[in-house]
Amino acid sequence: MNGKTIFGLQVASLVLIWVLVILIGIWVVNLLRLSYELPDVPSATFGISIIAVPVFVTIAGILTYVFIGLQKGKEKE
Amino acid sequence: MFDATVTSGAEFKDAALLRPIEETSRNFYYVVAGLSLVVLIAAVMFVRQVWFGLGVTGMNQPVTWGFYIVNFVFFIGISHAGTLISAILRLSKAEWRRPITRMAEVITAIVLAIGGLHPIIDLGRPDRVLNVFTSGRLQSPLLWDVVSISAYFTASTVYLYVPLIPDIAILRDRGTKPEWLYAFLSWGWQGTPHQHKVLERAINILMVMVIPIAISVHTVISYIFSMTLQPGWHSTIFGPYFVVGAIFSGIAALLIVMIVFRRLFHFEAYLKEIHFAYLGNLLLVMSLLWFYFTFSEYLTGFFGHEPFEMKVFWYKFTGPYAPYFWVMVSCNFLIPLSLLTFKKRNIIPKVLTASIAVVIGMWLERLIIVVPTLANTHLPSPVGIYIPSLVEWSLFLGGVAAFALGFAFFSKFFPLISIWEIQEGRERSVADVTERLQQYLPTESGGNVEVLSV
Amino acid sequence: MSRWGMVIDLDKCTGCGACITACKEENNVPYVSPDEAAQGRALSWMTIVTEIVGEYPNVRAKYIPRLCMHCDDPPCTKVCPVRATYVSDEGIVAQIYPRCIGCRYCMAACPYTVKVFNWYEPEWTEGMERVHNPDVSLRPRGVVEKCTFCHHRLQKAREKVRMEGREFVDGEYNTACAEVCPTKSIVFGDLADQNSQVSHLARSTRAFRLLDDLGTEPKVYYLTEGEKHV
Repeated sequence: MNGKTIFGLQVASLVLIWVLVILIGIWVVNLLRLSYELPDVPSATFGISIIAVPVFVTIAGILTYVFIGLQKGKEKE
Repeated sequence: MFDATVTSGAEFKDAALLRPIEETSRNFYYVVAGLSLVVLIAAVMFVRQVWFGLGVTGMNQPVTWGFYIVNFVFFIGISHAGTLISAILRLSKAEWRRPITRMAEVITAIVLAIGGLHPIIDLGRPDRVLNVFTSGRLQSPLLWDVVSISAYFTASTVYLYVPLIPDIAILRDRGTKPEWLYAFLSWGWQGTPHQHKVLERAINILMVMVIPIAISVHTVISYIFSMTLQPGWHSTIFGPYFVVGAIFSGIAALLIVMIVFRRLFHFEAYLKEIHFAYLGNLLLVMSLLWFYFTFSEYLTGFFGHEPFEMKVFWYKFTGPYAPYFWVMVSCNFLIPLSLLTFKKRNIIPKVLTASIAVVIGMWLERLIIVVPTLANTHLPSPVGIYIPSLVEWSLFLGGVAAFALGFAFFSKFFPLISIWEIQEGRERSVADVTERLQQYLPTESGGNVEVLSV
Repeated sequence: MSRWGMVIDLDKCTGCGACITACKEENNVPYVSPDEAAQGRALSWMTIVTEIVGEYPNVRAKYIPRLCMHCDDPPCTKVCPVRATYVSDEGIVAQIYPRCIGCRYCMAACPYTVKVFNWYEPEWTEGMERVHNPDVSLRPRGVVEKCTFCHHRLQKAREKVRMEGREFVDGEYNTACAEVCPTKSIVFGDLADQNSQVSHLARSTRAFRLLDDLGTEPKVYYLTEGEKHV
């Protein structure tokens, strides 16, 4: 496997992680919408959503920061 | 900054840490085969359960939760070892953490995956688990759990992976097979100063972030019980109680893992007696804390003497669950106290015995929390006895085997002790610690400040 | 808006158990083998709690029919992760069988222990499937079920009432247990209707509710036994 494929896989894995985080975000928003429509204690759902989603986004952000940082910090060959 | 590219030759002092990856003994295959068999049997049992229904377990009316929920709480509890200990020790700049953090983080990742599966194993309709996504209710403590455990699993996996990168790079540079895997996972690590800075910053953010997430996990698991109105469960102390219990069982599990791999892979040079002494002290402290919370919980119930609360109380103290209860108290308090208070000699056997006792005791504690309350309902119920079935035992053993199997696989591909952090310790720590010490000590006006030789 | 509730007169209840049987037949509740029943897997939406009071020779038995209390603030609906149990607008705590994932959290949370679980695929003895009530859906294994105040009868009665363009008459929608009780100790009706029999009885000085202090606001009232009861 040459360097280009490896790099492509690495970027793909990072994209996958963001896809996961976005899916989680969509799920939480769906549950939030349901709780408003029914209604079924929307305040609780909102409170949990506002904490949960940023946690996942931050983790994905840290991973992205590490990846970009590592690529930038490479010595020129 | 140091250069971590010395990965071979006489200068590479830590070749011993790579031996488990580069050499595979026959025993390894036997162990993996055996563990895989246990996991396979558990899987077959689960299929049987899905086919026939939960009737194949020992659960009944009113004891509708049994081994699966007990093991769920137990496994997730152990997860607190890893990331929490690793994060707290890193945060407090404890230098003795260096050979421990990797194993701790691995425990968390594996055990969260196993524990996270247990609620699904417990479902009457696991085929409908996706209903949680289409019509879930974040208002339910069970969903708080789903969110919390997912967040912790994600955070701890990242917290395991990021500090693993330099070690993966070492393996890549040594040409360890499979080469593409290490090239892929190392994310282009070369050990340049800029990369070190990026890594350190990321680890610093993560280690702070991971602590509240970890605490939230077991707090939220305790809420599953404490948010109901049932006697023995509806207690305000449950949040902190469960967190303390989780850290307690986690440290014990970590100690067992450390001792096992120290023996198996001959890590004696890295995991020295002082590491076990320090962790043993932590275990003792947690044992005292656990006792404090337990005493508080039961004294409050007893003093108030509410009828429903007392039914559950006597069931545990003198009734059918008395044997389990008193064994639990011995395992969690008496044995650790007696073994760990004076442990100058024979540290490792003492610590190992205490840890095994604590793991057993904490499992019993989960059992004692779940079943007695269910068996002693507000309104009279005909039965109220729970005898776990073969299916439940198989899945329990399968969970434990899966844990060991996960470790076996990890040890084959990645070093169990963080090589670059050991190297960093050798090269930087003395200077770092001396500098810190000089900050703590009083400043001398005019006189010489002696540089302490450590 | 109606509020469906029930009053059970413990003075009249003889503990005969006809309500249990009627409920089982009306709602297609599965049978279990004697072994399973001994293990505590019997499925019964209505049970009778027998309390022995006093010591010999002043012993007597109290029979308290126990069914879902259809609480106004139910602990079970709060904890369901998928909203498979919920409180309807008219106060009936309902189950959505196709949605239930069988986590049994609602069972653990109910302080009255009135929810039951299908531990196996439901079974009936030979021939009994032919007398299934066509108005009530059959449940698969792995879901939770409980008393529904026979709300299939509510749906039928409501259709009839709508077709005839009038209001409900007290007693028109009646549960199976109330209908079959030989001493008429179970009375069912609309608590929001001030003139209904169930409202009158619920306002009686003898009326009490089980586990009242938990704050669940159950809608099943009991009338204590009178002074002359020996």
